[in-house]
Amino acid sequence: MENNERLNGQNNEYVIECRDLNLWYEDFQALKNINMKYRKNKVTAIIGPSGCGKSTLLRCFNRMNDVIEDCRIEGQVLFNGKNLYDSNADIRLNRKKIGMIFQKPNPFPMSVYDNITYGPKIHKVEDDDILDKITEKYLKRAVLWDEVEDRLKDSAMGLSGGQQQRLCIARALAVEPEVLLMDEPTASLDPIATQKIEDLILQLKEEWTVIIVTHNMQQAARISDYTAFMYLGEMIEYGETTQIFENPQEKLTENYITGRFG
Amino acid sequence: MTTEMHKDLIILKNEVSKMGHLALNMLKDSVNSLYAQDTQLAKEVLNKKELIRDYDNQIEEKTLKLIMLYQPMAVDLRTLAAILKIITYLHRIGRYGKDIADAVIKHLSDKQIAINLVNLRHIYEHVQSMIEDAISAFEKMDISLIKDFKERDDEVDKLRWSIFRECLTYMIEDPKYITECAHYMMFARYLERCGDHACKIAEKAYYMVTGKHIEIS
Repeated sequence: MENNERLNGQNNEYVIECRDLNLWYEDFQALKNINMKYRKNKVTAIIGPSGCGKSTLLRCFNRMNDVIEDCRIEGQVLFNGKNLYDSNADIRLNRKKIGMIFQKPNPFPMSVYDNITYGPKIHKVEDDDILDKITEKYLKRAVLWDEVEDRLKDSAMGLSGGQQQRLCIARALAVEPEVLLMDEPTASLDPIATQKIEDLILQLKEEWTVIIVTHNMQQAARISDYTAFMYLGEMIEYGETTQIFENPQEKLTENYITGRFG
Repeated sequence: MTTEMHKDLIILKNEVSKMGHLALNMLKDSVNSLYAQDTQLAKEVLNKKELIRDYDNQIEEKTLKLIMLYQPMAVDLRTLAAILKIITYLHRIGRYGKDIADAVIKHLSDKQIAINLVNLRHIYEHVQSMIEDAISAFEKMDISLIKDFKERDDEVDKLRWSIFRECLTYMIEDPKYITECAHYMMFARYLERCGDHACKIAEKAYYMVTGKHIEIS
């Protein structure tokens, strides 16, 4: 817990902060008193066994749980100091600023170009030249441009799984978010496509803050700066990734990462 | 829950223990062969040279295989990292035993004068107990066994210089002791290095248990 206090100190810039966050699905409490801060321009991984609440926590950061019936949330999630759950919070703007990538690539059933420009168009960008530039810029940032520059008008559904996932990342970037939430973004990809996504995540943190949920501990160890371990809805340990994987302070964390659970 | 990896890890740790006792026996037999002028015992030490090398290679291979197959974390990863270093130190200890046995056969089998005056056995006993405790600390994950290693290592260093001065005195007194005493000074150095290796094993056992690095010697 010493680490948690250190990470929650005053000396760094934080983008998202949970304060006494509790969440229930009907009577089941899925998140228990979560207090965490996420550093800007860093990759933070959330690990834990199935059902521990890690995806639920991630979905709290862009209010995706709002659409789930009988879901009740208490506490605060501060984004740049403002509570996302305030009654006057602008959900649409916040979701623009906090993008999300899912386990299964979910490109829109339209062209590569239209996938990227869909968000900017909704946000009133209408000039074709600007849309072209946005398309090129973010496909390049997602390291996909070289593979699709002559296929921009082709259907995105024809891309490989790994390409589709990078397209989804480019699409999320095109509305200029500050934070990218990733829920097991490589779970459905082969090792080569996974490696490309991991390399991309390491590049993305230069400009964006990434919070990633993953079942793959080696992946968390490879790409994240900080790691949080969750168990039964509680945040058990949160610290620098090397410390969590080499020398965890909590017995539960050690048992989980060494496979001694059960 | 015990997984396949943890079963393999237990087997691997047992192999390291066996290697440790082999190294210790090589050292003990070499010192005994010196005092007993027993070239047969010294030859037996030489014959174990390949065995300890094979332990080193096989444990290294098995450790790398475990890392490759299971990508272990935390204490499991630290244990495997410790093993990779510890086997090198154990191999060196065994090799020092072999070096002493080699000299007994080649140069000292017909000399038994100064050894009764030079107290090599005393430094050996110190080093032996350090190696035993370092191996036990690794086996039992019990770092209390190594808490006084700094003092014990200092004692070994003092004994080594004491033997050095002793041998120098005999050599000045009578040049016929020069060959014999030159070897004893080398043996004292070998044993002192074995004490250093025991300290390095202890450091790795400490790292394995706590995740923290310390420097004993």
